[in-house]
Amino acid sequence: MTQENLAEQAGVTRHTIMALEAGKYFPSLLLAFRIARVFGAPVEQVFEYHGEPK
Amino acid sequence: MSDSEKWARWTLGVVALTIAAYGAFVAFLGHGPATFSVFALLALTSVPASSRRYFKGRRFDEREQQIASKANRAGFGAFWVAFVGLIMAIYFIKGWNATLAVPVWTLTETLMWGFILIVGVEAVTTIMLYRGGPRA
Repeated sequence: MTQENLAEQAGVTRHTIMALEAGKYFPSLLLAFRIARVFGAPVEQVFEYHGEPK
Repeated sequence: MSDSEKWARWTLGVVALTIAAYGAFVAFLGHGPATFSVFALLALTSVPASSRRYFKGRRFDEREQQIASKANRAGFGAFWVAFVGLIMAIYFIKGWNATLAVPVWTLTETLMWGFILIVGVEAVTTIMLYRGGPRA
């Protein structure tokens, strides 16, 4: 799946997907669930919590 | 590059051009009511399609909305600080009971500088937040 496809299905721009992948943006809970739904996986399989950024 | 980033870069360029033109105008022709004409350059901010990004019918996602909102707050926050600073400076320099008489063109010029401050800070904040980290 391309970033463009994921962005389209999740209802965001490709820039936001790129920022998410680069760890430059924390998605809202709603967006996290939408992305997880695109992958057909539970949200905890798609996102991991690594603690607060320093 | 998103429309907001394009807008921010273009706007910064227009702000820099306006400030440079203002400096050149004052240096060569002096400071007077005609100086106000330089601010017509600010109309260039509406030239690129990215300046109409809110009217193109496309949806802004949550990150773009957050950045736009923060940049907007930063711009108006800077304006507010400058406004209060200017008022306080006038009070302290001229005194609390002094009468201040200024030409209308000085007043309108001050407003244009206020506009430049708002869009300038908004543009810089937008660029910084798009480049920024997880808090963006």
